Amino acid sequence: MIRLERKFASLKENSKKALVAYLVAGDPDISTTLELMHQFVLSGVDIIELGVPFTDPIAEGPIIQAAHDRALQANTSLDMIFSLVEEFRSKDSETPVILMGYINTFLANSKALESIHERGTDAVLIVDVPGESSLEDIGIQNKNIASISLISPTTDNDRIQKICMSSSGFIYYVTLRGVTGASNLNEDEIQKNILNIRNSTNLPVLAGFGIKTASDARALSQISDGVVIGSVLVEMIQELSEKKDYKKIYNYLNEISAAINP
Amino acid sequence: MDNLRDLPNSDGFFGNYGGKFVPETLMFALKELEDTYDQLKSDPDFLKQIDQDLCHFVGRPSPLYFADRLTKHYDGPNIWLKREDLNHTGAHKINNTVGQILLAKAMGKKRIIAETGAGQHGVATATVAARLGLECHIYMGAADVQRQSLNVYRIKLLGAEVHAVDSGTATLKDALNEAMRDWVTNIDDTYYIIGSVTGPHPYPMIVRDFNSIVGRELRDQSIEHFNAFPEAIIACVGGGSNAMGIFYPFVSDPEVQLIGVEAAGSGIETGKHAAPLNDGHPGILHGAKSYLMQDENGQVIDTHSVSAGLDYPGVGPEHSNLKDSGRAIYLAVNDKEALDAFHMVTRLEGIMPALETAHAFAALDHLSGKFNKKDNIVINVSGRGDKDINTVATMDGISLD
Ligand SMILES: Cc1ncc(COP(=O)(O)O)c(C=O)c1O
Repeated sequence: MIRLERKFASLKENSKKALVAYLVAGDPDISTTLELMHQFVLSGVDIIELGVPFTDPIAEGPIIQAAHDRALQANTSLDMIFSLVEEFRSKDSETPVILMGYINTFLANSKALESIHERGTDAVLIVDVPGESSLEDIGIQNKNIASISLISPTTDNDRIQKICMSSSGFIYYVTLRGVTGASNLNEDEIQKNILNIRNSTNLPVLAGFGIKTASDARALSQISDGVVIGSVLVEMIQELSEKKDYKKIYNYLNEISAAINP
Repeated sequence: MDNLRDLPNSDGFFGNYGGKFVPETLMFALKELEDTYDQLKSDPDFLKQIDQDLCHFVGRPSPLYFADRLTKHYDGPNIWLKREDLNHTGAHKINNTVGQILLAKAMGKKRIIAETGAGQHGVATATVAARLGLECHIYMGAADVQRQSLNVYRIKLLGAEVHAVDSGTATLKDALNEAMRDWVTNIDDTYYIIGSVTGPHPYPMIVRDFNSIVGRELRDQSIEHFNAFPEAIIACVGGGSNAMGIFYPFVSDPEVQLIGVEAAGSGIETGKHAAPLNDGHPGILHGAKSYLMQDENGQVIDTHSVSAGLDYPGVGPEHSNLKDSGRAIYLAVNDKEALDAFHMVTRLEGIMPALETAHAFAALDHLSGKFNKKDNIVINVSGRGDKDINTVATMDGISLD
């Protein structure tokens, strides 16, 4: 958790926006994920969001669903992901790592979750738990990790307040009505809603879902504290994993990074 | 036991089970649905409309029929059949869709979506959507599109679009995933008619309430026919809507045994089945906490059943609570037992049950000696078997081409 706070403090000090990169842990295999994580950081990524694969990821579009399937095919378990983060920490002690997934896999590992901060994980984002519930409410005992929640275009003010109260780390604003990888961004609505969220919290507000191009990223970073890129990366990982040459992704991330912090 | 009838609580929990575990975008739609239902469920005009539709469109009340030859065959208690197979469109599913489409209308929604396994809920949804002239999309696992092809064609004839879902196991659970994704995307104008007592609150309650007409009729009919409540009620359990509909009005009558029957597929011991209440443990899928077939990492396990409508790794949360409380018991019968029961009932009674329903009949073999000859037991005939004749023929090694 402290890494997240430090990261946002330093971004703020330098008037910079955060670049968050999502990839599914274990797609195509754990050792590739580790390599990608380090390379992402070298390519300008500030925070890494590791998707925890689940058989029934209802918030994901086809691209990320397929990545979940590939990771499961490679027998990726949450326990392996905790170890992956631990290994990542041996070379990178600063980049915050968030685990994003679905409640059933987290609950099946609730005991192990009590000590994941010691193994380098900073936060969890559980997609199918309403944001007003704390981790404790759902049976996860760990006060040392942040609980990041989603707020969407359909969240009313009453819920925005409750969600902000029980969230830590940052607020993840879902920029569209839809699943990951969709493309129907409405900038005016996003700006209005993010301003509205800021009335309820001092936490950074990041924008994600549907951000693809450098110009999307640039536009949204101007009205938020940073952007999350997911499906584009996952699609490129799939495309490039046969040759295991991921330079194209690193170039892309450098381009996004430059676009949001010109 | 009175408190069991007062559930769910305001958070949507039946004891430890239920709740609302969904992506944030859906929370607003669930609240909107909850508010609408809260307001309408005691509105006299709304209730009158439902009564009329159930009577004139669905053809209710469904008979309580004495199964004379089946009773003689078992030489045990009197066996009565609650004939949901005689409903318009051929199953209990229409009771729920007739109600939910009125909620959709009251909420001003223009577009209807639903998931389906056996296709009965798809047909029942496409039927009510056609009747109101609403756009309708049905999600169905690609494997089920194959084995329930007759229903797929019926759905298309009714003007709905069928989306075959290839992801995951290509069965009911994947159809539900895809329907939820559609709903998140088209949240403003779309109403999602869930087809069983599953999903996030308030669906398990709403679907139960609309199906409870079955149990309410049975209360009157059993008094009329044998001047008592039945000793036991037997119903098959996929998601659990036909069972919940007939059980719920009797939950506070402890003298009535409630017996649910899950699909044991190739046999519980093989692990290839669809019986979470018999061989699963609590977890969260599709918005609610309930018994679930899952591995030690919380990944959902593939299910197996000859019956598409029972081929689901989860079960409605209220059943989980009825199980834990001991108020209901849940048996499991395998594919072969269900198929044998299908043939037996067809030959003995001239009633061809759906393969789902055949599981409830097959439970009779497990219950021999449990009842006295003068007892009356009721089987919920949740649907008719026309849709299944291709599957039955294949299993019997007969080609219909
Ligand atoms: C005839 C029939 N019975 C039972 C079921 C199982 O559903 P539920 O358990 O919700 O009643 C189905 C589902 O398709 C069905 O078509």
